[in-house]
Order: sequence, then structure tokens, then C-alpha cells
Amino acid sequence: MRVAKLNILPWAKLNGCHDDVLLYPRPTSRSDNIRPFIRSPNYILHYQSINKMLKSTFAPIFSAFPAKHRTRQPSSTAVFRVFAHTPESVQQNASANSHTSILPPYLFHPTSAYVHLPFCRKRCHYCDFPIVALGSSSTQIDDDPRIVNYMQLLSREINATRPGTTTNPPLETVFFGGGTPSLVPPSLVSSILETLRLKFGLCLDAEISMEMDPGTFDAKKMKELMDLGVNRVSLGVQAFQEELLKACGRAHGLKEVYEAIETVKSCGVENWSMDLISSLPHQTPEMWEESLRLTIEQQPQHVSVYDLQVEQGTKFGVLYTPGEFPLPSETQSADFYKMASRTLSDAGYNHYEISSYCKSGFECKHNFTYWKNEPFYAFGLGSASYVGGLRFTRPKKMREYMGYVENLENGSVGCNENIHIDGKDMAMDVVMLSLRTARGLDLRSFAEAYGDSLVHSLCESYRPYVESGHVVCLNEQRRALAADEFNSVLFKEDKDQAKMAYIWLSDPDGFLLSNEMISLAFRVISP
Amino acid sequence: MGYLSRAQKALKSSNFLYFSQTSSKFSWLSALLGSNPLYGSPNCRHFGLSQPFCSHSRQNSKENVIDLNQYPPELIRNFSIIAHVDHGKSTLADRLLELTGTIKKGHGQPQYLDKLQVERERGITVKAQTATMFHKHNFHGADKNDTHEQPSFLLNLIDTPGHVDFSYEVSRSLAACQGALLVVDAAQGVQAQTVANFYLAFESNLTIIPVINKIDQPTADPDRVKAQLKLMFDLDPKDALLTSAKTGQGLEQVLPSVIERIPPPPGNSSSPLRMLLLDSYYDEYKGVICHVAVVDGVLRKGDKISSAATGQTYEILDVGIMHPELTSTGILLTGQVGYVVSGMRSTKEARVGDTLHHNRSVVEPLPGFKPAKHMVFSGLYPADGSDFEALNHAIERLTCNDASVSVAKESSTALGLGFRCGFLGLLHMDVFHQRLEQEHGAHVISTIPTVPYIYEYSDGSKVQVQNPAALPSNPKKRVTACWEPTVLATIIIPSEYVGPVITLCSERRGQQLEYSFIDSQRVFMKYRLPLREIVVDFYNELKSMTSGYASFDYEDSEYQQSDMVKLDILLNGQPVDAMATIVHNLKAQRVGRELVEKLKKFIDRQMFEITIQAAIGSKIIARETISAMRKNVLAKCYGGDVTRKKKLLEKQKEGKKRMKRVGSVDIPQEAFHELLKVS
Repeated sequence: MRVAKLNILPWAKLNGCHDDVLLYPRPTSRSDNIRPFIRSPNYILHYQSINKMLKSTFAPIFSAFPAKHRTRQPSSTAVFRVFAHTPESVQQNASANSHTSILPPYLFHPTSAYVHLPFCRKRCHYCDFPIVALGSSSTQIDDDPRIVNYMQLLSREINATRPGTTTNPPLETVFFGGGTPSLVPPSLVSSILETLRLKFGLCLDAEISMEMDPGTFDAKKMKELMDLGVNRVSLGVQAFQEELLKACGRAHGLKEVYEAIETVKSCGVENWSMDLISSLPHQTPEMWEESLRLTIEQQPQHVSVYDLQVEQGTKFGVLYTPGEFPLPSETQSADFYKMASRTLSDAGYNHYEISSYCKSGFECKHNFTYWKNEPFYAFGLGSASYVGGLRFTRPKKMREYMGYVENLENGSVGCNENIHIDGKDMAMDVVMLSLRTARGLDLRSFAEAYGDSLVHSLCESYRPYVESGHVVCLNEQRRALAADEFNSVLFKEDKDQAKMAYIWLSDPDGFLLSNEMISLAFRVISP
Repeated sequence: MGYLSRAQKALKSSNFLYFSQTSSKFSWLSALLGSNPLYGSPNCRHFGLSQPFCSHSRQNSKENVIDLNQYPPELIRNFSIIAHVDHGKSTLADRLLELTGTIKKGHGQPQYLDKLQVERERGITVKAQTATMFHKHNFHGADKNDTHEQPSFLLNLIDTPGHVDFSYEVSRSLAACQGALLVVDAAQGVQAQTVANFYLAFESNLTIIPVINKIDQPTADPDRVKAQLKLMFDLDPKDALLTSAKTGQGLEQVLPSVIERIPPPPGNSSSPLRMLLLDSYYDEYKGVICHVAVVDGVLRKGDKISSAATGQTYEILDVGIMHPELTSTGILLTGQVGYVVSGMRSTKEARVGDTLHHNRSVVEPLPGFKPAKHMVFSGLYPADGSDFEALNHAIERLTCNDASVSVAKESSTALGLGFRCGFLGLLHMDVFHQRLEQEHGAHVISTIPTVPYIYEYSDGSKVQVQNPAALPSNPKKRVTACWEPTVLATIIIPSEYVGPVITLCSERRGQQLEYSFIDSQRVFMKYRLPLREIVVDFYNELKSMTSGYASFDYEDSEYQQSDMVKLDILLNGQPVDAMATIVHNLKAQRVGRELVEKLKKFIDRQMFEITIQAAIGSKIIARETISAMRKNVLAKCYGGDVTRKKKLLEKQKEGKKRMKRVGSVDIPQEAFHELLKVS
């Protein structure tokens, strides 16, 4: 009941990033016992204030439906996480009211890992990711030396990676992306997971996602993967029209799509995502409507809707110009976006990030690491990591990647010394990532890190867009401020600065022009 | 010690080893000088090096014996080369410099006298340059068997710009000359600038030596050119020299003809000093350097001189000739052309055309030149608003060497602080832009060039308008009349292009004054054209419709009354001052439509709808809308590749930064550039 109630309130978007705190109990596992790690006191305050807020706001509701609400000990996890010191902790002085040891999120120890498995049958026409096309002729996937060798290299990279400290927390999310990870034999996936587990530790309840393509797995493979711990599937369906699948060079047809969905469901995957692409060449509004409708019928917990980006160097890049036939016009493709937003919201999905929708509680935790500007490991060809404040993209060519792993092993790369972390860059990252989410930008923690004046000038530059409705400013209670209310706070007529607590982009108009809004913020931060 | 060891290395690599044996004391110095082009040989003298140490240098051996006293006016010839663009003027100058040993053959850069990057790139001469040469020649009539040494002549070559915009420079240079080589391409024949330059020289009473150049070309037809010269300028075909500056053919006749045909400079060496200030430029090390022609009397280092125009007195710190680099001589005599360094602080003190004389002597000032007349005005703004100071500095430095540009500060709501600059013509404006960018690294946005109009109001007051934005869109007083400047244009084209060219000229409101054939294939036309109509894109269009065969030149003419109106451009109802222009009433509709369409093409969709309007007063004559941007989002699975996402957004930010903002509309710089192309 509470959850249902939350959905109609703007701050329902909160549960996107705090779901682990609010909705999931934490099992008492090894991972919690060894967690010496203290997150920022901001977080503590934050969680506490949310809890307080929750209580005060919902006291009547809770009392009205005392027995039915789904919340299970909402604050226990947060409190546990924060105060569970272990003897090795080097952060003993951290406490809720001490600001001396505030750790910015980027200095947390990574608890997420991205693993790139680049193999595909063939390259899709829109794809510019670092992939290795195996060709459709090779049937003996299981012992294809290209895969076997790569997986070995991957293990070597993982093993050569230096964890931050000995007190590294275990991984909470692992994401196998590609490429087509589902092409890789489960036995090889198993070895990678094992390597990760030995190296960093792996929470028992870790979210382990894998991108899977129709036509590349059967129930047996699915089961094997589930046995290894894969508990979230991101199914690359892309479209429900045979001609569109063909037009974008997918290696599967519609039949495989339905088989794959059936497999995922029958194997009992409880958290799976349907991935779709809008604005494909020759795509009509009717087709898009149909894809959305068929998606909803299949009841995935999560839907990703990507908007086709025509990239240079791809087949589409050669053939098509964005906005020109056979691609839909800019207006039409904006309409596709709006249609997805409306249709999926009506079907009970939260639009929690620009291209992500989910049923409550099924946000992709791994992706949220990115959007919260928290650190994450990455392994494999062309993958991008963020450790110790340093973003690093691995070589996109296999030979160079091999050299990189060798250098990592003999110690000539990989030490993150003397990283200069530029405040402006960091602020831009925070704005860029948080404005992608429905939670938006937390103005107060932003002001704490980068100064009130920056927040002020940011708000000032957003003023016309608050008026036009692209940007929404929320108060502490996550109530939207009217434009004149916003102005009066901005120009200090109303002294209550606390009224401005969050900024987010409206759905769908603000999201649709997010690049404009974010680059405007970039200009304010770094003129 | 460091010097020494480096010098020793230099010694080994060069051929001066024997120096160290003969004079170890100086050897390292001479070796350094010899190996470092920065130390021009003139400086050797300052180091007190005697000749043998520098004997490797052709120049040193000569310079140390340059005694200008040996060159009375009878042995001096001052001449210039005038030609249509590309007829080989600069190459001919190079050859003459080589022939006289002033520059070494194959050394130095081609087009020696074109020193500016813009000159080399465009193959044009912008700044007049001077070089002194020495040439031994037996004056005709002398006994061929005479064993006496041939007399050496001092020849001053004054290189001039060919383009009409720089006729101000040309007339300046011609004032110091007694003769001119009129260079004509043997294949192309007489062209528009040949005509203009001929008349400039002719009016200055110069002896004209026709040189038909490029006779090595397969299409060369010297006889046809001779006939044209006879027909158009009444030049005797027998007088024409046939040359190829490229192969060297016929070049040997050039200097003898100069010496024999061109009279020596007049002037009286016993009169008090009078010299004409030809040009000036600023040198970082020496300060202001003035090019001067000594008309009467003698100038020596250490003399005190005064300016007739300003009354200021200066001491001559250095005096010499350009041979071809500054070469100190300590003296300049009657009829000679050289440079002086006088401790002037800024080129503004050096008024070109001024007469300089010894202080305390009273002289009759020489006739000056007509002051530069600014025909084209345009606003120059820093591309990035914060660069105003940098632009200011760049313009200041550039005007030090190009005093012919007028500069006044102005401000625009769209572009911020900037300058309104007056130019002699279009090419001049272009060249100024290019020099600003190339030599001073300035990035500028310029506004639509405009010409000076005169408006008369009902109360009888008259206003000169150099900036359309300054003209009120809805004046309180009624405009009773408007005048615009015109030019007399000379167009020479192959006869098959007559039709389209006439159409072009009448579209541009031209009035035909003359139409004749200069030979069986070429037509000569004279038009009166409103200057405004040729300011934008006339020459390019003429060139392209005639496959490049048209030649075009113009000279200022009087103002004519016309019905000129101010055309405003409005973005979301707000006029953009920097885009306002003045057009003829009958063309307003078309120009307005064109401008609005151009803008629509170059202004990107933005968060809100944009209306673009062209208006005369309160009457809207053209309108377009740019609908609001519908979508600009990265909804793609980039995984954790935040860097890539960010790069895209940063690129977008940078794009925005380069734009100019009017109200809520971001205007890309290209939009301003594109507007320049609408006639």
C-alpha cells in the first residue's frame, strides 16, 4: 500500500536510489560482517532525514494500514551499514555529526564491477561498441579459442587489478555487458565470477546482470547461468517487427524473441529487462505502439528504451542522417519517446532514468552506481572504470588490450598515483549523471561540495526552463515549486533557501532536452 | 664558454676553420654571425669587424664601401613597377634584385618584397616596399672601348600594390618615383588594373616603360598587347620591352632602359633638406622606422629634423638604405630613398605624406598625398566577448603599420564591445581581417560591410551614417533625401560574356557610361555603380560568370541621391543591431527574404520557437520561424562510459559558448559570416 501511495508522489522517485535502504532487508552475511566501511555522514543524515520524513509524512497512512505495508524494518540496513565498525576500520573518527571525514562518493570503494564480453554473431548496423564478431558459421562456440583466450585474459586483468585496500568491501553488483554475453559458455562465465569472488568478494545477494540476446541461449544455458548466480537478465529484443530486426542487422528474428522471453520466464528469472530501441529506420508510430504493447504484455520487471544514436563509422552512420528519411523526423522521434513514457507509466512502470523504466523496486542497482557517481570496476575490452576518482577506458582493440593487461601484470600501469581530481569536472559529472535520473540533483549536498554560489547561478540559468516546465525544482518534501515561488527564493525575496532541495528534469519534456539542460549547466560550472 | 664551444661546433661545420688560425679572437663571433641569419650583415659593422672576417658574405664586402656620396642625383633612378594582379610584378622585382646581386639567386624567399603572410598567400602586394640596388651601366653614347670603369647607378625600386583599394599606397609610392615599369601579361593583355595604374602613373607625370612579360607562355601574343597599349594608352609599340621574368629572357634590357629612359630625380642638393615621408612601420627593436625620399638637401645621422605637419622635432638616430634589408649609411643625399630611425614613439606621429626638414630651417612643405578615404565600414567584434582587450591590442598593433584604417569603438547589444573600422575598399577590409587573424591571432566577427550614406532630414540637418544601427528605425524627423557613394567601374571582359555582365551590372543598379572594344575579342566597359552594390560579392560573381576572365577595377566617384532604407532583422521581435543593413527600397524585399532564409538555415533549433523577421520601420517584409527543438537526449546504453557521454555534452557546451546571444536566442558565428554574403 505504501508503495502504491509513493508512486503518485514526486519523491517516489527516491526509492530508485535508496531502495536498498528502504525496501530490502540486508541478510546477515559475511559481507556485512566484514564491511568496515563508512559512507559519508551526508548519507547518514540523509537517510535519517528520509526516515524522519517518511515517518512524519506517513504516520496517518501507516496507522491506517498498519499490518499491510511492505516496509521491512526500513532503517535497519542503513544504520547497520553506518555503524558496523570493524577493528580494521581506519575511519574510527567518522560519526554522524563530524564533517572532517566526509568522503565524496567517488572515494568509496567500488562495490560494482562491469565485465565486458565482446562476442557477437555479427555487428548490428547501429553498433559502435568494441565487439568481436564471431561470424554465424562458427557453431562450436563452446571451445572457440577466441572466447577461451579472451576469458583467460579477462581473468588475468581481474587478478592484476589492485583493490584499493585490504578492507575492500565485497561486490554488490556485477554486470556482464557486451557484445553478446549470452554467447559465452556458462563454464567460462563461472570462472570469471569465481575470479571476482576470490579477488573482491561477492555478496550473496549481489545483483548479477547479464545482457542476453534472443537466439543465443536455451533453457539449459539459462539455468546454468542462474545456478552461477546470474539473477537479472537484460534481454536485447530491440523491436517486435521482423522487418525492423532485419533492417538493423540483428542476428535473430521475431521467433527467437518469443522463444527467449518464454525461456527467461519459464526458468523463473524474477528480474528481467526488455531492451527496446526507438527511432529505427522505417519505424512507424504504429510499430512503436505495438512494440510497447507487446512488451507490457510480457510483464518484464524492467524496460530499457534506447533512442537510436546514429554513430559515425557504423553502417547506419554511412547510410542515414538523423531526422531524415528513413529515420523518423526529430518531432516523430520525440513523439516515440513521449509515447514510451506515457504507455509504460500507465502500465505501472516508474520512469526512473532517461531510458529506464521499472516496476517498483526493480531499478537496476548496477546502473545506479553510475548515476550516483559512485566508483565501479570494469574489466575487458574497451570497458570504462571509475576507481579512486579516476575514470579510465581500456583499449578498444584486442591487441592493445592484451598489451594493457600485460603491463598491468608487470606493474607498469595501473597505479592511481597523483590523481588530480578537478572540482569542476566532478561537479559536471554529478550534474550530468544525477539529472538523468528522476531523483534529480540534490542541491544541498551539491552546495556543500561545490558552494552555494554555484547552485545559485545554476538555478538562475535554469530560470526560463522552470517557467517553461522543462526543469522542476522541489522542496525538501519533494513538492514542486511554482515558477514564481522559485523566482522569489532565487532572488532572496523568500529567505527560505531550504525550499530548494532538488532539481530534476520533467518527464518527458525535460528528459527529451536533457542534453541542452546539462550542457547549460556545464557552461555555468566551467564557463 | 658556452658560446665558445658552440661556436667551435659551428666552425667545424662551416668553412671558416682558417679564421681560428688567423684571428682566434674574432673567429667565434664571425662564425656565429655567419651561421645565424638573424645577424644580418649590416650589424657586422657595429661589432667592428673588418671585411675579411665577413668575406663570405656578398653583402658585407659591398656595404662597407657603400658611400652614398658617390651617387649624385644623375646616377640615381627611382622607379616602381605597376601591373594588374598576377602579371608578374613581384617575380620581376625578384629578378631585378638578383640581377644586381641585391639578393642571392635562389636564396631568400620568392616574392622577396611581399613580406606579409597575406601577401604571399594571395599573391598580392599590400604594403609598398622599397629596395635599393646598384647597377653598373655605360650610359649610351659612351665609348664602348672606353677602359674606364663603367659608372655605377643607384636604383630605388619601389614595389607597389596592384589593387585599387591600395591606390593610396600606389600614389604614395609614385610620388617618390620618376618612372614606372608598366608590366602587362603577354597573354592576358591589358586588364582593368593596368588601366587604373597607368592613369595613376600618367597623372604623376612618370616616364612609363611598358614591359610585356611572360612571353614564354605558349599563348603569349605580344603583338596584340602592343596594339592594345597603343590603342588605350598611346604607348609606342617600339618602346615595349619583351621579357619573361620566369626564364630570364629579355631581362637584361630592363635596367638599361630604366637608366636611360627615366630621368634622374629633380631636386637641389644645395637647398635646405626636404624629405617626403613615404611610409612608416613599427619595429619591435628599433621603434618607428620611416621610409623617406630626400627631395632636396642632405640628411645625416645625428641631424635634428622637424615635421612640417606636427612641428615635432626628432634626432636622426640611424639613417640608411634598404639593400634590401635596413643598411645603415649614415647619410642620405638628394634624390635618394631610404629609411630613418628617429625615436618616434608611435607610427601615429609619422604622418605619411608629411614633409620633414632640418629644425630651425624654414622650407616650403612638399605637396602631400590626398588623405585616405574610407569607403567601406564594418564592425569588428571579438568572436569571444571576453577577448575585447586582445582584439583592441591586435587592432592597435596592426594600425601601427596600416594607418589607412580608421578605428572607433562601438558597442552592439548582440556582440558586445567592438570597433567600427573604415577601410579603403573591400580587399583592404579582407586583408585587414586576415592580418588580424594571422599576425595577431585575433578571432573576429565582422558585421555586414556598409558604405557611408548621407541622410537629410526635414529640418535640413544632414547626417553621415557609417553604421546602419545608428540610423533610427522609426525616426522622429522625416527623411527628405538620402545620398549614397558611387564608383566608376572599369570592366574588361572577353566579348562573349557581355550579356551576363550587363545583366549583373543592371541588377546592381549600374549605369553604363562607356562600351568599346579594345581589340577584336575584348570589351572595355565603364559603369557608374553604387558602391553599396559592389561591396558584397560583386567581384566574385563577376569572376565566376566569366570563368575568371573578367577584370574589374573602380575609382571613387560622387554621391548620388537614392531611396535607401534601413532593413532591420528581428529575432523573437527584438532587433539585432549587428544585423541591420541599409538597402535600396526596391531591393529591400528581396534582400530581407534572403537574409531571413540564411538565418533560418544557420540558427539551430533551440528550446523555444524563434521567429526571424526582416522589417523596414514597423513594416515586416519577411518572416520565418524555427520551431522549438523537440529532442536532444542521449538515451543510449553507454554503460559506465561516462567520459564519452561527457565529451558529447562538453562539445555541445563549447558550441554554445561560441554563440552570440540576443534575448534568448543563440546565434552561431557562422550566421554572421553568412549574412556578409547576401548582397
